[in-house]
Amino acid sequence: MVASRETYGTEFETQDLLLNVGPQHPSTHGVFRMVLQVDGEVVKDVIPHIGYLHRGAEKLCETMDFRQGIGFMDRTEYLAAFNAELSYVMAVEALADIEVPERAQWIRMILCELNRLSSHFMFMGAFGIDVGVFATPFIYAWKEREQILDLFEEVAGDRMMYAYFRPGGLAWDVPHNFKARVREVLKSTRIGINDFDGLLTKDEIFRTRTQGVGVISAEEAIEWGMSGPSIRASGVPMDVRKDEPYLFYDQIDFNVASRTEGDVYARYSCRMEEMWESVRIIEQCLEKMPDYGPIMPEKMPRMLRTPPGEVYIRTEAPRGEYGIYMVSQGGNRPYRLKVRSACLSNLQALKDMSVNQYVADAIIVLGSIDIVLSEVDR
Amino acid sequence: MTSDQTDSSTPVEAPDDLSGTIWSEVDRALSGVTVRPERGVIDLIVHIPADEVIGGLRRLKTDETLDFNYLRCLTAVDLEADGMDVVYHLYSTNKKHNLTVKARLGNDNLRLDTATTVWKAANWLERETAEMFGIRFNGHPDPRTLLMPEDMTDTFPLRKSHPLQEIEILQGEGMGYPEEGE
Repeated sequence: MVASRETYGTEFETQDLLLNVGPQHPSTHGVFRMVLQVDGEVVKDVIPHIGYLHRGAEKLCETMDFRQGIGFMDRTEYLAAFNAELSYVMAVEALADIEVPERAQWIRMILCELNRLSSHFMFMGAFGIDVGVFATPFIYAWKEREQILDLFEEVAGDRMMYAYFRPGGLAWDVPHNFKARVREVLKSTRIGINDFDGLLTKDEIFRTRTQGVGVISAEEAIEWGMSGPSIRASGVPMDVRKDEPYLFYDQIDFNVASRTEGDVYARYSCRMEEMWESVRIIEQCLEKMPDYGPIMPEKMPRMLRTPPGEVYIRTEAPRGEYGIYMVSQGGNRPYRLKVRSACLSNLQALKDMSVNQYVADAIIVLGSIDIVLSEVDR
Repeated sequence: MTSDQTDSSTPVEAPDDLSGTIWSEVDRALSGVTVRPERGVIDLIVHIPADEVIGGLRRLKTDETLDFNYLRCLTAVDLEADGMDVVYHLYSTNKKHNLTVKARLGNDNLRLDTATTVWKAANWLERETAEMFGIRFNGHPDPRTLLMPEDMTDTFPLRKSHPLQEIEILQGEGMGYPEEGE
């Protein structure tokens, strides 16, 4: 399938070329740079360079008290900030042994799943551009994502950097028409996902372009520590929501979307199926969520302190496992905070996926693992 | 936190209640390795001496009942005078259980064998840990810096002794901003 030096015989003298992609290339989804060693059109080696967005969020969090750190978590994973906050506040709650009221947990679940939808919409749009379906899916995705962000703004007061989850519960209650608004958003989301199904999934050109490209086997994916839709597309149905349920995921009926092909198309269609599952989860949450009730425990200290200890919390963010390793030596701030970034681990496998592919395919392989560079670099 | 964990007279916290954890399996798989268990908030934590940790990790991975085939996270914790802990978070995608492995390094000898021979996933995580804490991973296939500038190999930002605001000055000659008075 791939033309190589051998195809043409050896009478022509060929030379490998180093091709620099990024850090400001639009298809690297942020400030990511990779150096491709190419033989004609074929990628022979990939050297990724990251760190352009490193801000030292971990070190900064060690100097701030537990509530101040929430804002930094938003900025590590800005496309799914609710999921990032969730890991962080769950770590504090586990260390300080705080019981979160039921209603707050349902609200957290709904917001996290909505955030998964908005993040996947973003992926669909950007991935469309990578593949060459220029602009059309992006605009469609933007329209749907905007509806969800509007809802987030009504709830948290901000479109992307929420700082809405607090250790113990939520910063304040949701608006009185929250359930109605979520249903309204879901209505348009369903239409949106359907549109995408017609626009991309069923498109013959799109399938030809993505099927069989950037394949990674299940064993390799596990070995590299991939997670999220990227590993589920390789036939490993690994999902923290199902395997180690947190919040109330054990009370919800949903499927883990997985494929066995391990190619770009499988990673895409995993996300597509996940969006339908998210809609199902939110619908069930809306039915089970009580209309009234506390959103914070009754006795929360003004200054939050935890006993000494350490905990590793993992949650299923849209890009995979977002983990927080928090060490406390007592006191009101973490002694050490480590953010386990799903994108960093997924990105490690980029070389395995793109070697012996065409240059144009290396771009869609990168697009298909859906990286957020601020999460990679922290 | 206990500081004198190398002292043989301190297994005072050993009678942690380890029922309901995978400790019996881990103990069996790691027979011959010095292991000290501790009950964590969620997962079981085992402490292994630094010179035995890679052998222990390989056994945990290849053991059939434990089957820790997935490395979730690898990082370090600076304990100042007590040295540094290198922390491994393991997971089994088939058995769905977790384990935290910790190895203590002394401040005078911040070296450890690489875990990339056990899981490829350790590659970038070790590079990050190395540049942030100044721990050398012997035998690492690609010991470049990951997030930091390539020439920033003399200062380690996540150490507790590293100041928060004076990174520019510490960055070595020619790279930092000159002092502009006070």
